[in-house]
Amino acid sequence: MKTKKIIYGILLLIPLCLPQVIDNQYYIQGVFCRIIIYAMLVASLDLIVGYIGDVSIGHAGFFAIGAYTVGILTATQDLNSDSTMSWFPHLSFFSALPIGILLTAIAGFVLGFPALRLSGPYLAVVTIAYGMLIYTFINEQEAFTNGTKGISLEPLQVFGIKCSGSNFLYVVYPFLVLVMFVVRNLTKSYWGRAFEAIKYSEVAASMCGISKSYYKIWAFVISAGIAGLAGGFFSQLDAYVAPNTFSYNFSVEFLIALIVGGVQSILGNILGASVMVIFPDLFSNFNDYRLIIFGLSLLMVLFFMPKGLAGFVNLVKKRFATKQDSHHAEALSKKAAEVVLFDYTNAKENHTAVQITDLTMRFGGLVAVNELNMSIKKGTVHGLIGPNGSGKSTTVNLLTGIYAPAGGAVSLFGQSIAGQSTYKRAKLGIARTFQNLQLFSDMTALQNVMVGMHNSFQANLAAVCFNLPNAQREEKRAEARAFAWLQFVGLQESAFTEAKNLSYGQARLLEIARALASNPALLLLDEPAAGLTAGEIEKINVLIRKIKDSGVSVLLIEHHMDMVMAVSDEVTVLDFGKKIAEGTPAQIQNNPAVITAYLGTHETSFH
Amino acid sequence: MEQFIQLLIGGIAQGMIYALVAFGYNITFSTSRSFNFSHGNFLMLGGVVGLILYINNQIPFLAMVLAVVLVGLLMGLILYKTSIEPSLKSKSNYAWILATLAFGIILKNMVEVFWSTDDFRFDSPLGNAPIRVMDVGVLPQEILIIVVALCIVVAVESFKKYTIFGKAIVAVSEDKNTASLMGINQQFVILFSFLLSSVIACLAGILVAPITMVGATMGTVLGVKAYAVSIIGGLESGYGVLLGGLIIGLSEAFTARYISTGYKDAPGFLILILVLLFLPSGIFGKTVIKKV
Repeated sequence: MKTKKIIYGILLLIPLCLPQVIDNQYYIQGVFCRIIIYAMLVASLDLIVGYIGDVSIGHAGFFAIGAYTVGILTATQDLNSDSTMSWFPHLSFFSALPIGILLTAIAGFVLGFPALRLSGPYLAVVTIAYGMLIYTFINEQEAFTNGTKGISLEPLQVFGIKCSGSNFLYVVYPFLVLVMFVVRNLTKSYWGRAFEAIKYSEVAASMCGISKSYYKIWAFVISAGIAGLAGGFFSQLDAYVAPNTFSYNFSVEFLIALIVGGVQSILGNILGASVMVIFPDLFSNFNDYRLIIFGLSLLMVLFFMPKGLAGFVNLVKKRFATKQDSHHAEALSKKAAEVVLFDYTNAKENHTAVQITDLTMRFGGLVAVNELNMSIKKGTVHGLIGPNGSGKSTTVNLLTGIYAPAGGAVSLFGQSIAGQSTYKRAKLGIARTFQNLQLFSDMTALQNVMVGMHNSFQANLAAVCFNLPNAQREEKRAEARAFAWLQFVGLQESAFTEAKNLSYGQARLLEIARALASNPALLLLDEPAAGLTAGEIEKINVLIRKIKDSGVSVLLIEHHMDMVMAVSDEVTVLDFGKKIAEGTPAQIQNNPAVITAYLGTHETSFH
Repeated sequence: MEQFIQLLIGGIAQGMIYALVAFGYNITFSTSRSFNFSHGNFLMLGGVVGLILYINNQIPFLAMVLAVVLVGLLMGLILYKTSIEPSLKSKSNYAWILATLAFGIILKNMVEVFWSTDDFRFDSPLGNAPIRVMDVGVLPQEILIIVVALCIVVAVESFKKYTIFGKAIVAVSEDKNTASLMGINQQFVILFSFLLSSVIACLAGILVAPITMVGATMGTVLGVKAYAVSIIGGLESGYGVLLGGLIIGLSEAFTARYISTGYKDAPGFLILILVLLFLPSGIFGKTVIKKV
């Protein structure tokens, strides 16, 4: 481990030697520094496109805000004597840079709001509009920006030392390392997992206690901030900024660079930026055909290398990864042995777990749940059955706050939870599984469970970004605990398998593990046995009993009657949104109303 | 007052061009959840082919229109085969955006290399003399644009509503899988929607050519604005593009006249953002409750 770190450290220093080796200012500043600055911008775009899963075609706008803020604040009258600019604050570069970052972050904050409600092409067009508005503003506010003619800047000097030309590398490169370090830490932490969870399933993420608004807006703020930083440096790259650089096409090019390099990969970000800078040079002999070649290569990459150039490198890496994984699993299982799974911070004294009073839900004219009254006793398994469309899943969605009820009240351990949003209910101790699996498909089983533990993470954003010891410790503890949850449901062998590659039965178990990982007082199982074989169902039965014995209250929705009758302490039967019966499994089996309404009048297979 | 009416008609004509291009986005989005991000470049191709045939080679107007339709069909087919079909298979959220962007980059560059990078005038077959009614001068081309755009939108919407194949398109938009179970060839419907959308874009190219110039870059900004129009009206609505087009077209015309030409795009984009903040699927879009 130590030697690996030293090797990485030395590798990181190599680029700083370049000016000694290559004595050509064009290559160092024009090519190499440009790649560095573009790589930062691509990394910022990756946070949105790769992690949050939204397409942004407006990052040139953020870049422009950073570049222009630094440009305006540092410009001198001498170089812009015939300009329309009237305001020259004459700040130094490094005092202007934080202001640029701050302004860009604010712009990102503003863009975050539409991003909460919009996705896909709807959000993409907003990012375009946003970029275009910034572009128009820069073009037209001639008193500040000198309009289309742009702003000329003095060559960069820091404490009287010349930092332009090849020396510029010494200024920007450390910032690239810093940005990549922060992005890497962030994306590998519970923050990054929250971003990705939102991408794959907003509902499941909120059921893990993740506030979509909070994380999405932060993602836009951080991404914009990094773009602003890159923009600030860009103003010094040519010591000149002009609006034409920051057009719609520029945003498109960065999006292309990101995809060609490969999303969710620092290496991919750097490769993408390099391609973007070097490509025009490489094909300078075919200058006319350059864009044709570019377009064709893009199509090739898209369809033959969906993970981009970095995908190739990762394929090679994966060869070695399987061995690493097994070591890792071994270490984790040792630590997991010391984990106490069910701890009782969430146990509430002597209260009914859930009290539902006159709960009603309408979809248009359809009354899906009609004045339902029901209570789940603490530490019991409560079955909820009924024919298709009788309102079972709607009840679960009402309990978890996914739907807002038309009337009625729900209280959890004596506390009303009316009006609470889903992620807050998760914090109060409700967890659920989904009838239609809602796993975070590209994340491993272990990571899925760690998303479930979201609320247990305490480290703040700064600690996460700089990977401070408390964040590291917390992450390691969480990993061991997540592994223990996988052991609990019997999935430890698949800890490093991506959720999308699990078998159907395993996926169902993983859903349960993820739900339990949030340390719930109430677990809602929405058809956990749907599509499973008899053997697999038996496993789930055993699990449910274990969960109950640990003191967690369970609401079980199922169509497998054998299962419901075997594990439930009490059963409620719904039909057309109304409760038609309630009682012990034995009472339900003999209830004539249930038999006619739900089971039919002919012989059925109750045992 | 005369100037006001003149601006109004100019704005409406511009808006109808946007609406027509936007309509192309809607047609394919409803069937395939994707559209051609380089739609503007298809419009450009229509304009360029029209110019070469009609102005440079003096081919009869109708023959030129027919040729442009054929070019649209051909390009739609190539686009579908090289960009759309593989993207839809790849299950990626953004593959279609990038694939169609790449296609557009290639197309634009080819026009620049094999034809020209300059802009050319395209004289309207209806002449350049404004028709004067009570001191208000209106270009005949503007009237043609408004009429043709409305006709195309109404024709396609009626086709979807009243013919059996049109209903198949609606069925695929509503629910792909169920439509497939009903024996509808989903791939063919998607292909058809792309052909239709490409043809409309190419036709829009000849329509708009007399009031702009014809050149390789004529479509880029138009395509982006039409995208905004399409979203304002609602990507999944048919007639919504007409309202969206009017909003953007008129706001542009009036801002350019009364505020500044530099800011003419700003109000449209601001309206877009505002509309989406309150109506996330556009003015006529449907909001569906997500099932869990």
